[in-house]
Amino acid sequence: MIRRAVVLLLVLGGSLLLEPLRVFRGDGVSPAPLLVFGVLLLAADTMGELFHDFRLPKVVGYLAAGALLGPSGLEVAVPVLTADLALIKDLAIGLIGLMAGAELRLGEVRARWRAITGILLGQLVIGVVALTGAGLLAAAHLPFTVGLSGLALFAVVLLFACILTVNSPMVTIAMLKETGAEGPVARTVLGVVLVADVLVVLLFTLAFALVQGALGQGEAEGIGVAFTLLREVGASIFAGGMVALIVSLWLRFVKIELVLFAVIVVFVTAAMAGALHFELLLSLLVAGFLVENVAPVRAEPLVHTLQTVAEPVFVIFFALAGAELHLHEVVALWPVVLGFAVIRGVAIWFGASRGARLAGAEPAVVRYAWTGLISQAGVAFGLAAVVAAQLGERGQALQAVIVAIIAVNQTVGPILFKRALVGTGEATR
Amino acid sequence: MAALLAALAILAGGYLLAYLVFDRLRRSFGYVGGAEYVLLGLFLGPAGSGLLDRDAVRDLAPVAAVALGWIGVFLGTRLRLREWFAIPPGQLAVGWAEAGTTCGVAAGALWLMLHHGLGLDGRAALLPSLALAAVAVAGAPHAIDALAGRQAGRHPQWPLVRVVSSVDAFLAIVVYGITMAALHIGVVQGDTRPPTATEWVVINVAVGLGSGLLFHLFLGPAATGLEHEVEAEGHGDARLFIALAGAIVIAGGTAFWLGLSPLFTTFLVGVVLGNSAQVHEQIVKHLLRVAQPVYLVLLIFAGAAWRPPGWEALWLVFAFVGVRLIARLIGGRVGGTASDEPEFHAPWLGRALLTQGGLGVAIALDYAQTPGAPSGSLVLSASLLSILLFDWIGARETAVVLGGGAPTSESPVPTGASGAG
Repeated sequence: MIRRAVVLLLVLGGSLLLEPLRVFRGDGVSPAPLLVFGVLLLAADTMGELFHDFRLPKVVGYLAAGALLGPSGLEVAVPVLTADLALIKDLAIGLIGLMAGAELRLGEVRARWRAITGILLGQLVIGVVALTGAGLLAAAHLPFTVGLSGLALFAVVLLFACILTVNSPMVTIAMLKETGAEGPVARTVLGVVLVADVLVVLLFTLAFALVQGALGQGEAEGIGVAFTLLREVGASIFAGGMVALIVSLWLRFVKIELVLFAVIVVFVTAAMAGALHFELLLSLLVAGFLVENVAPVRAEPLVHTLQTVAEPVFVIFFALAGAELHLHEVVALWPVVLGFAVIRGVAIWFGASRGARLAGAEPAVVRYAWTGLISQAGVAFGLAAVVAAQLGERGQALQAVIVAIIAVNQTVGPILFKRALVGTGEATR
Repeated sequence: MAALLAALAILAGGYLLAYLVFDRLRRSFGYVGGAEYVLLGLFLGPAGSGLLDRDAVRDLAPVAAVALGWIGVFLGTRLRLREWFAIPPGQLAVGWAEAGTTCGVAAGALWLMLHHGLGLDGRAALLPSLALAAVAVAGAPHAIDALAGRQAGRHPQWPLVRVVSSVDAFLAIVVYGITMAALHIGVVQGDTRPPTATEWVVINVAVGLGSGLLFHLFLGPAATGLEHEVEAEGHGDARLFIALAGAIVIAGGTAFWLGLSPLFTTFLVGVVLGNSAQVHEQIVKHLLRVAQPVYLVLLIFAGAAWRPPGWEALWLVFAFVGVRLIARLIGGRVGGTASDEPEFHAPWLGRALLTQGGLGVAIALDYAQTPGAPSGSLVLSASLLSILLFDWIGARETAVVLGGGAPTSESPVPTGASGAG
């Protein structure tokens, strides 16, 4: 490990040494993002292995490498450079979406629907109520509620709570791949986070419409935004259906070059998502699910192909996510951040375990499923970005707090989930 | 961003389409090459339908640099010194004589044409003429390998043709890389003293070999063969792939940064990894896994990046094809008669080595991507025309010379095994 770290330092040192010899390119092409990508890749792989040696999730190692090289650390992977790597991030999100969707088998969902519904409702209801209550009580200490009262205060805090109830399909699928877990806890958590991904976006949509109306940005505008978000969900599901059809035809008639085909599917869907305003992750989740469960083809070759590229994809995605963590904001807002992270954790624990018990789930699911719901990543980031873009300074303040809380959840969540999977004996590696 | 995604989607979709359409052609007629991908790129690019506009092509330049780097490492790992030392000296002598003569004849003729025909001054004409000479020498070892299972593969001098073809590829890449370093054309930023020609060559070789050494150390037990247990569990493969990808991106990106050739720099990385790593076969396996798509997407990109060279230089594009043909035949004659040993006597050698292959296009693309490279569009145009012409006739000609006849539909030509050839 020390050897790898030394090599990485030598690579960075060599780059600095060669900096004065950098040639002027008049064509507007910058090779710097390439270098940053290479360094991130190797550093994340190294840190992942280091964390693995300490029995911690590799995902946390990848995040740590990103954070270390990011703006909060050595400032190698700064936003101006990582923005150019958005393409690679989209590819990772898309491939993980396809993979996650294909992992969700209808038979298992049917067999576990009571547990999934119980946990889902438990964590959503208890989570939203607890976080909204805590937000109202702590309103004087929250930077995004300054000058608000009454309905406006309630609406903004509700929006904040909705975003904090989002889970992370990315982390869940990464943890399942890393541990090889296949048991009831693993399958139930996967079902919950994938269904929650759709439900929370709908919930967020309603809360956001309420905020728009309450802040006097016009009821029509609020309804307009809500309609747009609902349309995005609908369009994502429709696009997922279309993608599933194309993938099924490919698997039925062509059957070759599956890695490249999956990459093309992701790029095409990402390009369409940008142009037609739907969500990449959700559409490919739906596509993966439909191919696995509905299409009259064998999806195993695609699933197997996606599994072979899983680890590099996780390294890339979580290293870039780590580089986007705003650790200085965690430090600046630490009482608020830690307070809400703890309240959220307790609410999820209580809501999920109570929901699972009421649904008659296995004891292991009752005891451990909540650990898989702590992590937050891409979807929560995305919703926070929507708020920041729409609500001006208040939205940006809300985004800063949420991103700082995500940093905590993203670190603690995988550790808890891995411990649970090992504790239940579901982890096979 | 959306435009770039769309560009990538079009590129990759085009690749699959061409793969499907030309697979039948390949099976039916024994066509071994990548000309169809070049044509596809031309169709998609700004010079064709415009589906990929200039901005999209520019945005894809770093992707192309990584692809060049991938091909460079792949070629480098094939240069196993232990295997080269086992080659009979007579075969190597033939190879060096053929490659050296072909390169010399092509460089001389092209320099005269550029200097006297286009009016470039002597020094300015040197860089494109040497780059084109490297393209002229570059062949397609995969076209030779494709004959292995046929009658031509049983020809007594088939091993000689393979060796000569490998020497050609090696010389092409080294001549090109050294040329680009020695005649470095980028403008160094700030008030740093620009390095001299010798210093640039030393820097380039140091970056390549140094990166190779660093990544050998980075791979650690995987490189020294102590991590078999990890690999047996299936974890080693993914990590090796990640390390390789990181090495290629960093070494290629550094070369791109310094205005040097990513192809040559990563070639040196590949030479170090290929000769030092105990897990050489796994490294080659990983490189091979994506080499074919990378190579063919590169051909599409080369087509898309093509710009017409201007009327005054158009004749030189066609002249290059003639120069390459003549240089190949002369080089083959000189090389094929260089050895006194009868088993290495092969005056027909030039005809067996006509196929252009992707390395030539990779070199031309690398050159055209270098900011300020003189006659970049001319070099790329000439290489593209060369691959379009020679890939149609080259494999068949090789088979005819070696007595194997054209491949048939019963024996499809394997194109994936060494696509970067």
